[in-house]
Amino acid sequence: MIIEMNSIRKSFGSNDVLKDVSLSLEGGEICALLGENGAGKSTLMNILGGVHQMDQGSITIDGKSQQFSTPAQSQEAGIAFIHQELNLINDLPIYENMFLGREIKTKRGSLDLERMFQETKEMFEKMNVDLDPKTMVRDLDSSYKQIVEICRAMMTNASIIIMDEPTTSLTDREIERVFTMMKTMKDHNVGIIFISHKLNEVLQVCDRYLVLRDGNLVAEGNVSEVTTNDLAHFMVGYNVRTESLLREKELGEEVLSVEALTYNHTFKDINFSVKAGEVVGVTGLLGDGRSELFQSIFGADDISSGKIYLNEKEVKITSTTQAINEGIAYLPRNRKENAIIGDMDIMENASIVTWPKFSKRGVIDQKKQQDTFEKQRKTLRLKMGKLTDSITSLSGGNQQKVVLAKWLASNPKLLILDNPTQGVDVGAKEDIYDIILKLADENIAIVVLSSEAHEIIRVCDRALVMYHGVIQGEVKKETMNEHNIMSLATGGQLT
Amino acid sequence: MEMKPVNNTSLKNNKNFFAWFKYKWSNEPLFSTAIALIIMVILQTLVLGFDYDSVGSWFQSWTNNWINILRNNAGIGIVALGMTFVIMTGGIDLAVGSTLVATGAFAMLLLDTGTRGLLGMVGMSGLPAFVVTVILVLLFGYLLGSLIGVSITKGKVPPFIATLAAMMIFRSVTQHFTQGYNTTVPAEFLQIASFRMGDYMIMPIIYWAIIAYILYYVSKRTTFGRQIIAVGSNERAAKLSGVNVEKVKVRVYALMGLLVSIAAIIQVSRIGSMDFSNAGRGMEMDAIAAAVVGGTSMSGGRGFILGTVYGMLIIAVMNNLLNLFGVPPFLREAFKGLIVIAAVLLQKKEKTS
Ligand SMILES: Nc1ncnc2c1ncn2[C@@H]1O[C@H](COP(=O)(O)OP(=O)(O)OP(=O)(O)O)[C@@H](O)[C@H]1O
Ligand SMILES: [Mg+2]
Repeated sequence: MIIEMNSIRKSFGSNDVLKDVSLSLEGGEICALLGENGAGKSTLMNILGGVHQMDQGSITIDGKSQQFSTPAQSQEAGIAFIHQELNLINDLPIYENMFLGREIKTKRGSLDLERMFQETKEMFEKMNVDLDPKTMVRDLDSSYKQIVEICRAMMTNASIIIMDEPTTSLTDREIERVFTMMKTMKDHNVGIIFISHKLNEVLQVCDRYLVLRDGNLVAEGNVSEVTTNDLAHFMVGYNVRTESLLREKELGEEVLSVEALTYNHTFKDINFSVKAGEVVGVTGLLGDGRSELFQSIFGADDISSGKIYLNEKEVKITSTTQAINEGIAYLPRNRKENAIIGDMDIMENASIVTWPKFSKRGVIDQKKQQDTFEKQRKTLRLKMGKLTDSITSLSGGNQQKVVLAKWLASNPKLLILDNPTQGVDVGAKEDIYDIILKLADENIAIVVLSSEAHEIIRVCDRALVMYHGVIQGEVKKETMNEHNIMSLATGGQLT
Repeated sequence: MEMKPVNNTSLKNNKNFFAWFKYKWSNEPLFSTAIALIIMVILQTLVLGFDYDSVGSWFQSWTNNWINILRNNAGIGIVALGMTFVIMTGGIDLAVGSTLVATGAFAMLLLDTGTRGLLGMVGMSGLPAFVVTVILVLLFGYLLGSLIGVSITKGKVPPFIATLAAMMIFRSVTQHFTQGYNTTVPAEFLQIASFRMGDYMIMPIIYWAIIAYILYYVSKRTTFGRQIIAVGSNERAAKLSGVNVEKVKVRVYALMGLLVSIAAIIQVSRIGSMDFSNAGRGMEMDAIAAAVVGGTSMSGGRGFILGTVYGMLIIAVMNNLLNLFGVPPFLREAFKGLIVIAAVLLQKKEKTS
């Protein structure tokens, strides 16, 4: 099977997103589609997936011209699509989600739940996924949801699989499994288009690369002939910094410290502290409980026992409103579910946290709100249209920047960032690291939660590694390397 | 689709108009609702007949007809505004009719000129008594609404269930405590709704307009108004952005109760009495219909105060038309149903993903 997209053009209003892009893919190859945030990667794939219609151009499969006006038509042609944002039905169990739109029926026409369950179970066994297919999707953590989506796409017997940033909320271990799966599919002559901002992944699994910039194809070639630095350069058009960010500095007073913090089985007996000006990383594998821990500290969820001190005074935080008033900011992971408010525009999504601060007697000061955002918009190099455009019209990475903007606007004393660079391109990642270090220089205490060891190593002064809800160990300076982090994260000890 | 620039000016204007119309139609949520309302009004004017000979008296009767429509719908129109907020948070309030009866009964109990008038017992009458009544009734409505709100947030009872229960409880308790008593409201109290400005009895319309304006402002400009959308659209994200979700919800139901009590005062002061077993029955459905016709999404997050005003007017004008056409009363509900379906279909089409 060979699929070709020829001279595709697409614009949204006056925004020309794709200007004459061509792409071809054969069965049995994995092709990376790269580009800055807002370059048009998702848009191009949405056209192939029947979500959006192209303005001009053509799509052919094995030389036959195709027209996809709905996602269903694209699926019928053998294309499976894993979207950038999660797309599962929360109120159905996993195994029913796996067969959405292509349900297995019994002879009498009712759903064959038993078979759907069995097939899902087999798939999970093959993928080494430790999940009960009967679990409701609502109860899954976002990383598991991502895994379910990947399995679903792989089960469709598609000849082409589009993966739009499938690994953003996965940890190395699951990513490995996904890659193994991808290689198996490839051996079975399936073609895969793989979108990612993690360039080392690209080198690891892909055969070819295509780079989009401003709606044009600017580079393509074989992955074996390039380095991550080359790819980064193609994407943003300049050399992306790679040198170390480590610095020596004086730390201030203790801003946050927790004592024996526990919540059921999610996290147990957690003790640590963060000083002003310090950047502390927290990492671990799936199910380590780090997000739950910090959501509880932020007042969004309960704790069953333990103490929290802010500036050495004990506090009981019962609501997120209170946490913000205490000077805490928490940027959650998984933006679609935890941060993006689809019915509000860009401006509002960027300012929701500061409404109370920027209002007099309950009336929001629009001007102040706008000025604050305009400043951030420049530092974060947000690619967007009007302030009043819907947040969902932004590309994934740019949505993430909006979420970051809203927390920066709150001027926190303690900034907790949970997977802050989710879906952000290489250039913008460096911008975010700069912001983190600058804030640390301004004596803000910062906690970075991330599953990417190299991200932790780049920006953090020291890092806590969690394993099944407990802090397994701490790494700093000389001991802070991928090997040590990995061994702690899998329940081992520092050697 | 390609839009090529056109040189011919008349064609250009023409094209521009259609482009403008198309743009508005698909981008402004209230545009289609407003168009629908305008069409209804034109239709109604045509049916009423335009009299070329005496424009003056035609205008007079046209105005009177409109004042009647607006006044008759002011109470329910006010309730529908509150319902819009409730629905925007992803909830629903089935108890409005019963809250109307409860607060109305409370007003009459306070005011009664007979032996049971509570304010009369403490020797209060005239203007001070009226002021106290209004304040206490509003507080009572606010309290009943808060109760519902607290049971939904703290008690974690789904809104449909909580308000269904409240609907049964409020009315039944009211009927029990008011059975067998005839209350009379002092004639001066009726001025609240029946005061005439010139020849026109338009106080209820003025209340409706003022409240609609205030709530419009609240929904667009205040923290509370915007937080309502956030809560309805993505509750978890709202919470993680520092929105006190429970507080917002309680305040929305409390506001609903307050608005219902205003409607109750208007009703009591219009006719001087209230039929506790029938007043407000079906009110929740009319309020929901107005909100839905006005573009409010039942799944929360999306809603328009102005749209609800339009929605209310569309339904009201339609009722008026059916009346003028002499459609039998039992069939009228069916038309209301059709309007609701039509409105939702229209909005589906215009929704851009
Ligand atoms: N539905 C839409 N309406 C309007 N504009 C859109 C829509 N979808 C995408 N865009 C715009 O198209 C451009 C490309 O977006 P796209 O999502 O394709 O970027 P991307 O390359 O996938 O970026 P990212 O790496 O951040 O996911 C952006 O400027 C975005 O604002
Ligand atoms: Mg994208």
